Amino acid sequence: MLYELLPHILNGLALGLLFALVALGFMLIIGVMEIINLAHGSLFALGAYVAMAILAPDGGIPLSAMEPWYDLSPWIRYPVSLIVAPVVVAGVGMGLEVCLRRTYGKDPLYGLLLTFGAALVLEEIIREIWGPSEYFLPIPREISGGFIFEDLIYSTYRIFAAAFSVAMIGLLWLFLNRTPYGAVIKAGAHDSEMVRALGYNLRILRMLVFGFGTALAAIAGVIMAPIWGIRPVVGVDAVIPAFVVIVLGGVGSFWGAVTAGVLVGLVVAITAAFLTDWSLLSMYLLLLAVVTFRSRGLAGKASVLER
Amino acid sequence: MPLFEAIHLHKRFGQQVVLEDISLSFEENRLSGIMGPNGAGKTTCFNVLTGHYKPDRGEVRFDGQDITGRPPRLIARAGISRSFQLMNLFDEYTALENVIMALPQVRDRSFDVLHDLSANSDAQDRAAAVLERIGLKGHELALASDLPYGQRRALEIGVAMAADPKLLFLDEPTAGLGTEATAQLADLIRELRRSVTIVIIEHDMRFLFALADHIYVIHWGQVIAQGPPRALQDDKWVSRSSLGALA
Amino acid sequence: MARSNFRPQAWINTPILISFAVFGTMPLWIEQAGFYQYLGLEILIWIIFALGFNLLLGYTGLPSFGHGAFLGIGAYVFGLTQFNVVENLWLGLIAATVLTGLFGAAVALFISHRRGIYLALMTIAFGQILFFIASKWTSVTGGEDGLLNIRRLPADFWLFSIELQDTAMLYWFAFGVYAVVVVLLWRMVNSPFGKAIKAIKQNEQRVAFLGYNVRLLKGTVFTLSCAVAGLAGALFAMAQEGAYIQVMNLQWSGIVVLMVLIGGGFVSFWGPVVGVILYFVARDILGAYTEAWLLWFGLLFMLLVMFKPEGLAGMWQDAVKRLRNAAKREAVEPAAPKALAE
Repeated sequence: MLYELLPHILNGLALGLLFALVALGFMLIIGVMEIINLAHGSLFALGAYVAMAILAPDGGIPLSAMEPWYDLSPWIRYPVSLIVAPVVVAGVGMGLEVCLRRTYGKDPLYGLLLTFGAALVLEEIIREIWGPSEYFLPIPREISGGFIFEDLIYSTYRIFAAAFSVAMIGLLWLFLNRTPYGAVIKAGAHDSEMVRALGYNLRILRMLVFGFGTALAAIAGVIMAPIWGIRPVVGVDAVIPAFVVIVLGGVGSFWGAVTAGVLVGLVVAITAAFLTDWSLLSMYLLLLAVVTFRSRGLAGKASVLER
Repeated sequence: MPLFEAIHLHKRFGQQVVLEDISLSFEENRLSGIMGPNGAGKTTCFNVLTGHYKPDRGEVRFDGQDITGRPPRLIARAGISRSFQLMNLFDEYTALENVIMALPQVRDRSFDVLHDLSANSDAQDRAAAVLERIGLKGHELALASDLPYGQRRALEIGVAMAADPKLLFLDEPTAGLGTEATAQLADLIRELRRSVTIVIIEHDMRFLFALADHIYVIHWGQVIAQGPPRALQDDKWVSRSSLGALA
Repeated sequence: MARSNFRPQAWINTPILISFAVFGTMPLWIEQAGFYQYLGLEILIWIIFALGFNLLLGYTGLPSFGHGAFLGIGAYVFGLTQFNVVENLWLGLIAATVLTGLFGAAVALFISHRRGIYLALMTIAFGQILFFIASKWTSVTGGEDGLLNIRRLPADFWLFSIELQDTAMLYWFAFGVYAVVVVLLWRMVNSPFGKAIKAIKQNEQRVAFLGYNVRLLKGTVFTLSCAVAGLAGALFAMAQEGAYIQVMNLQWSGIVVLMVLIGGGFVSFWGPVVGVILYFVARDILGAYTEAWLLWFGLLFMLLVMFKPEGLAGMWQDAVKRLRNAAKREAVEPAAPKALAE
């Protein structure tokens, strides 16, 4: 019985690593700015839509001048989409950060309402441009489909997704821990006053971190697109696991987020194995359980989440 | 029997021991002080005494009853009030409304949905009396956020007094006040102490020395000295700590 | 002197009477105004829902982002009572109000000690879970098709009975419900309970330190707002002649947040009313020009959160204050220039 779960465990791993990627971006923003970005999920969704506009001749923004572009091999278009989507979303994210500046220092309720409003607005923009129906992301044939290994069917794409996420998470770790820019971000998360005193422009740092964090969500969105499908409402389903991950893993812990992400992914995927319809719901139930029983996160100190 | 006692309090945050075997007692009708440098543990001590934190070990007793670990709202109902250093007023409410919310007769009817609170003239009279006592007569209808700093400080104490407590904890009441306002505050406290037992946590040693009957000095998470002000000035621990230079 | 400005609030004040005059006559002029009867009914139902919701958001400061679920539950309870218990209007309304309130109380058990982001996400989660259950439990709710053929039951008053089939008649009935709800809510926000929850919004910690049972207060206001939502839901079921899952989704739960803040629910009892009216006017008027009217509504929301979270009612209050101050200055100054001229 357990043996038959192997493909689902692979799925869970892929899903979980993607959740971790989204959560890490979410966490960077919380760390440096103490903002809970409820629009994070919508930016995840936007990433998938932008990628689709670049990849799909029929589902994207119809520009007849673009036709020769769609004739190019998917192996050119796909990596381009993986670069362009996060860049576009980072731009939108930075714009959102500028809007949020007005709420700094005020009752945190207003920041919360603003990101909530932004999430709704983004979803509406997506609906306006692309309509409410579901799209599929045309990925290169080589990484799609499945294969049979020892009587079980595995999805090739999930393996690609897992591998890609591992690479992204690794790169992110290297960036945060082995580059001077990463050091500044980590310092900013720890003590923003100090960073300012050291001469860094805090406003620009905040804006860049917001852009960076949302770019991570966008990349995850592109990778997740073939798994979850591309729909405007996919945003909410992306922000909930991010929140569960940071409550489980602690707001400041990189590997805590990765571990928690994988855990959440496994829960969702294994639920899907037994009760397909309930898999997304399991995330919401997990949120309820985690918040109810783990009210103070790992470290035990009150975090920005409790304001 | 003292009105309020803390017995062998011990508190740690993670690895850090913040309070180590602290025992305090406050006699009724006395004005007691808790003094100490920042980071010495006096704020944590205060928070434990007023129910904001639970001690890891030790007991807190009030009026003969064990109140250790009780939540703040039950401690308030038992007759202990506290003011806050970082002022905790209702900024959208007037001075009068701030005090009204603190009155036990309003608090005890917090689930009353059928009566208009503004029609409760008894509550308004009592609140106005409190405001008069703390020197805010004439400012009843000013919004708390519009009041100047010194008056906000006074209102902060007024809100704590409104519940007619047996024991009043004041958390750094002089914070941010200039010389004249501090002197006015000292006068106010001298007037209040005639009817309520007061415990003050303070930085400003001259202020405390002029008012208190008995002072505890907390440093390094422990009580390093205690006694009437004059005795403390001679105490060797006080002079060895950074407080000595100021005493 | 101190007491003269601190006026006791009557059960029914001027704004309430004005609202009675406006809403009480709406079916008589709404068509002349270029609209249609059903719109009036929709507006009134959402006003009831939004007034109850504002107790939570505007007064207590609790961001409940899943409240549409309770509107939906009210509609389903009304329909199910009609189909499975008895076809009685009053019983249906009571069942919808009480049972939705109970659902609210159950949810409150999980969240009433929370605020801020935890509360927001928990309410989103509950909303999504309830939406999911409603869409999957086809045998009870009709799933994605909804609960169809809910009848507009007659209002039986002892000696006579009024048919509510006609939309205008249903409107008058809903107006009656509105009248009762608005009077009760107005009294509630001026009561010790109302002042306590407003204090919680300003400084929850202080309220606890003053001896109030903050958790119970928050749980109670949540339950009450859900009960009101249930009542609105029952009227909604009659208006639509069905109960559907759509209103339980995150978008609709978000729309009521938008309505309430834009209208000025944070500073005014009437904010939600203004917000609801603006929403429907935007939908019907703007919507004729552009499909993206909800997008503009959302952008308006964001702008207001950034620059004027007090909303439209807040801007109105500012304008009134400025006019009063100008009038006061007028009364005082005219003497001075003459003196100088001499």
